[in-house]
Amino acid sequence: MANSQNLISPSEKDFYLDFIQKYASIGTWECDIVNGTLNWSEETKKIHDEPSNYKPVFETAIGYYKEGYSRNTIETLFANCVEKHESFDVELEIITAKGNNKWVRSIGKPIIENNQCVKVIGIFQDIDEKTKTTIELAKREQILTKTFDLSAVGMVTLTLKGQFIDANKSFCETFGYTKEEIQQLTFLDITHPADKTKGKQAIMDMIDGKVNYYQSEKRYIAKNGKTIWTYISSTVIRDNNGIPLHFVTQINDISQIKRSTKKIVDLLDTTENQNKRLLNFAHIVSHNLRSHFSNLNMLLDLAKIEIPETTDNEIFPLLKQAVDHLGETVDNLNEVASINTKKNIQLEPLGLLDTVNTITKSIAAQIIASKADISINIASHIKVMAIPAYLDSIVLNFLTNAIKYKKQNEVPKIDITAKIENNFIILQIRDYGLGIDLQKHGEKLFGMYKTFHKHEDSRGIGLFITKNQIEAIGGTVDVDSKVNEGTTFNIHLKHYEKN
Amino acid sequence: MKKIDIACIIDDDPIFVYGVKKLMKFANFCESFMIFNNGEEAINNLKPILESESSKDMPDIILLDLNMPIMDGWQFLDEFTKIDAHKQITIYIVSSSIDPQDKNKLKNYETVSKFIIKPITVELLENISKEIIT
Repeated sequence: MANSQNLISPSEKDFYLDFIQKYASIGTWECDIVNGTLNWSEETKKIHDEPSNYKPVFETAIGYYKEGYSRNTIETLFANCVEKHESFDVELEIITAKGNNKWVRSIGKPIIENNQCVKVIGIFQDIDEKTKTTIELAKREQILTKTFDLSAVGMVTLTLKGQFIDANKSFCETFGYTKEEIQQLTFLDITHPADKTKGKQAIMDMIDGKVNYYQSEKRYIAKNGKTIWTYISSTVIRDNNGIPLHFVTQINDISQIKRSTKKIVDLLDTTENQNKRLLNFAHIVSHNLRSHFSNLNMLLDLAKIEIPETTDNEIFPLLKQAVDHLGETVDNLNEVASINTKKNIQLEPLGLLDTVNTITKSIAAQIIASKADISINIASHIKVMAIPAYLDSIVLNFLTNAIKYKKQNEVPKIDITAKIENNFIILQIRDYGLGIDLQKHGEKLFGMYKTFHKHEDSRGIGLFITKNQIEAIGGTVDVDSKVNEGTTFNIHLKHYEKN
Repeated sequence: MKKIDIACIIDDDPIFVYGVKKLMKFANFCESFMIFNNGEEAINNLKPILESESSKDMPDIILLDLNMPIMDGWQFLDEFTKIDAHKQITIYIVSSSIDPQDKNKLKNYETVSKFIIKPITVELLENISKEIIT
């Protein structure tokens, strides 16, 4: 049996040869130096994208090799083979008959007769796919290496026991260790004492293959002893059989973010505290001022009753007026303080048209006296979320302002409309009166004690309180105005929608 | 017209005390005064009077300030409610505070009739006088 296996007939030999050539993409060639002829096997022709009836020509065959390095190399090697009887085995590029670029392995061996090279026989192998894959792999390897080395994020590889294998530049810079120093340490050595047990389970689960990766915030200690806040992302690298080899971990230094966040939180605390103190201060001031005011007021009343002769002069009425204004100021101050300190404001749905009608009725005398022309166009179903007293006060203040700041010798004309926009109702109160120079006064318009018209009862407190009330019920207000054309206030109030 | 016999004023502000005494005279508010500068002084003096059998020297009305040193108006009220008094005494809080929280706090004290915000005027005293006598 053993003998019979070795005894294969020539036809069988050809069969096996063809078989190998075809499936291994290996062709053969034979170059007769004496006659100057060239023979290609079937597979060799196929690699060149030539048909099976193609007859290669000795002089031009070399032209398939890609110009430049590939062609120069094969020329030299072939010449050496013929002249110096040197075999060659080389990987080069050819351009096939169809113009395809292909990587091939070309092997040549001289046949020597009488110390003369008479033939060169060789093997021609299509290694395009393999080569391209290798090149691609090398490229990827390079990308990965560069990413690892130059990434702004700290990257390390660790043994399964936590010993550092490699660390990139960014990591070394952040932690202050050289690569050599860090390779002597484990990650536990540089973990913040408070975070030593953090992620232990996750690491075990990763090794066991229960989870693919682990991400967490974690503190480490740099070489100089400083705490470093990081966000880490870790994963396990396995071999082909799924056996875990090592960890790859990315370490993002978030110390700056942490510090900034802390600063913001601290700042917020400070602001809140200051706000509280400020309100408290406003409260105390207004309270204490109020008791002085009431004493002054009482003493003036007493003086009038007990020593009337001292009140019958120019100064006394002015003194009385000054004290009255002081009282008003203190009351306003108190009002503002109370709007801003109100907690758990309970808003209720209120019919906007109802409110506007009620307010209009309540100032009927003023409207009649000024002959104001007020048009109200509000859908009766519109409801806003508000505190009744605030909504009354808001509508009243804008309405009386609109009447007050009419043009001289003109009847005040006022349009009141409302529209729904998103979750808000925009209540628009438009007058055609004096208008306000917003360029000049825009920023101060809603400030305390700002008046823009020499009107007898301009106090400048109204808009300030009104704005505070609007904001207390979750609304906003903006203004549009032109001198001598009029003013439009847009009051955005929370829309009440039945669910 | 019947008149209030004794009005008790508990306030640390001498100007207010001076003023209110004058105004009470103008309003013909009461026969005599009883003045204390803070809650503690008031409680110490009022307690024996209120607990005694005779209703002589007992005030008909107390005007109580809230912000006072040593013992403030609220603390006074806490102590006052513990006294087993033999006579119904009307207490008016008289304060310059217009803080709604103070007004709300008052709901816990049954003994207090009213919250008056300073300044006090003759008309106001006349109104109180009418309320008490009827």
